Amino acid sequence: MSAIRIDDDVQRGTPIRILVDGAPIACFEGETIATAMLAADRLAFRQDTRGAGRGMFCNMGSCCECMVTLVGSGRRVRACLADARDGMEVSTRG
Amino acid sequence: MAEALSFDVAIVGGGPAGQAAAIQLAGHGLSIAVVDEQARPGGQILRQPPRAFRVAHWLAGRSYRALHAQFAAFEALPVTWLGGHSVLDAAPGRLLLHGPDGAVSVTARRILIAAGCQDLAVPIPGWTLPGVYSAGGVQAMVKSQQIVPGARVLLAGTHPLQLVIAEQIVRGGGTVAGVLFAQSRAAMLAPMLRDPAAAFRRATDLLAGQAALATLRRAGVPVRYGVGLTALRGSDWVSEAITTDGTIACDAVGLCYGFVPQSGLPRMLGAEVVQAGPAGGWRCVHDEWMRTSVAGVFAAGETTGVAGAAAAAAGGALAGIGIARDLGSLAPDAAERAAAAPRRVLARHRRFAALLDAIADPRGHFPALEPETLVCRCEDVPHAALCAEVATGASANAIKRATRCGMGLCQGRNCEPSLLRMIAAPDPGFTARFPARPVTIGDLAGD
Repeated sequence: MSAIRIDDDVQRGTPIRILVDGAPIACFEGETIATAMLAADRLAFRQDTRGAGRGMFCNMGSCCECMVTLVGSGRRVRACLADARDGMEVSTRG
Repeated sequence: MAEALSFDVAIVGGGPAGQAAAIQLAGHGLSIAVVDEQARPGGQILRQPPRAFRVAHWLAGRSYRALHAQFAAFEALPVTWLGGHSVLDAAPGRLLLHGPDGAVSVTARRILIAAGCQDLAVPIPGWTLPGVYSAGGVQAMVKSQQIVPGARVLLAGTHPLQLVIAEQIVRGGGTVAGVLFAQSRAAMLAPMLRDPAAAFRRATDLLAGQAALATLRRAGVPVRYGVGLTALRGSDWVSEAITTDGTIACDAVGLCYGFVPQSGLPRMLGAEVVQAGPAGGWRCVHDEWMRTSVAGVFAAGETTGVAGAAAAAAGGALAGIGIARDLGSLAPDAAERAAAAPRRVLARHRRFAALLDAIADPRGHFPALEPETLVCRCEDVPHAALCAEVATGASANAIKRATRCGMGLCQGRNCEPSLLRMIAAPDPGFTARFPARPVTIGDLAGD
């Protein structure tokens, strides 16, 4: 499986890199954390109480299913609203 | 917490309604703030690509033309744009926001809630698998981030918008595994035959639907009617959809059963709401100037009923005129003259919206749930637990206390319509609670 970045007529921002659970992910300035993760086949943003991986649902800030933790600050952010920034470290493990 | 920001008017929502209101309010010497969770204005309909992107021919279709013009007019206004800010709390004259720099208090003489709508969240066995999205979520990925969320995307539900989303995916180079309408084609056409005049007045939308169908046909995308979604299956993510007519391989799904107003803020303000369309949810009641039942608080756009961008813009313009009149910036007779056109447009589009509601009516097409299907995604509350409570005759609020359904981060936005469908008796739903969006105690304390 894989999400695809649309290429026709699209010029993205500068290539950057974030770390998700320690693994480097190549992405572009302007992309949300959610986009960076989906494009890298990382569809699970958290685990539910049954240990099942859970994905983003609404992609507009309402459902809060894509909350991830920014390593360092410990802040919880909605990955669909937060921009990926070069060197940012993200954890899906709460 | 930073010192309170003070404005004459605070508008929540930078979509068509909020923009139209700001455009009407400009030029009267009023200070205006527009708050939105997205970084850039546009709302979901004109969800902007990031500033770092360059997208040629972005949303170039005819149906987006008026929205582009309105966006350009809005961008030229001297308003305080508070993008990337969520509303945590709302009271007459006051909003509490959360943004990149923590909590921000805003006071305003008039507040306009133009918070838009959201997809009706429809539970189905397997819907919590990664790769399952609301259809609007899929569309926003395509429009804004320029990404198609899977190699084979399936769209399923009852709403015609899924044709437009499927077309946008195909144009973006993606593959659509299928578009499934749970209702028959005859059931979709019948409402149009009952009110052809309303249908004709929105010919642009109908033509867009026809054009989308033609594109999908050329791309070999199966568009099927009378085929319902039964379950979604997969291990780490969704890999197949079980339908009433066989199994479809897919790795992303957009559920498209309709839209409900974002009603959290009006309800938090104590504004009167009534049941919205057949998809469920609550719409904010308003008078002829878009005033809500709470003094100083106005509502416009899909917060007042899901009726599309043109209706939202007309309602927003009317709210802007109403607020200017209320603040003494516009004489009553001038306001009356200015209001005539948007009132006509609003009434016309609401008539079409009623038609669309009938076409897309999801009732009778909701998938059957398994006992362990989670209805409340935030708190992992399964269907069986809710059935047990509903059987006791408990209210939504009592069921919330007993099961934690609706107590999670989304504040019941996803599960409330499902629970209210299960409760046969009239029920006011969950009491809207602070905070409307997740926030840390530290941010509230100003640490």
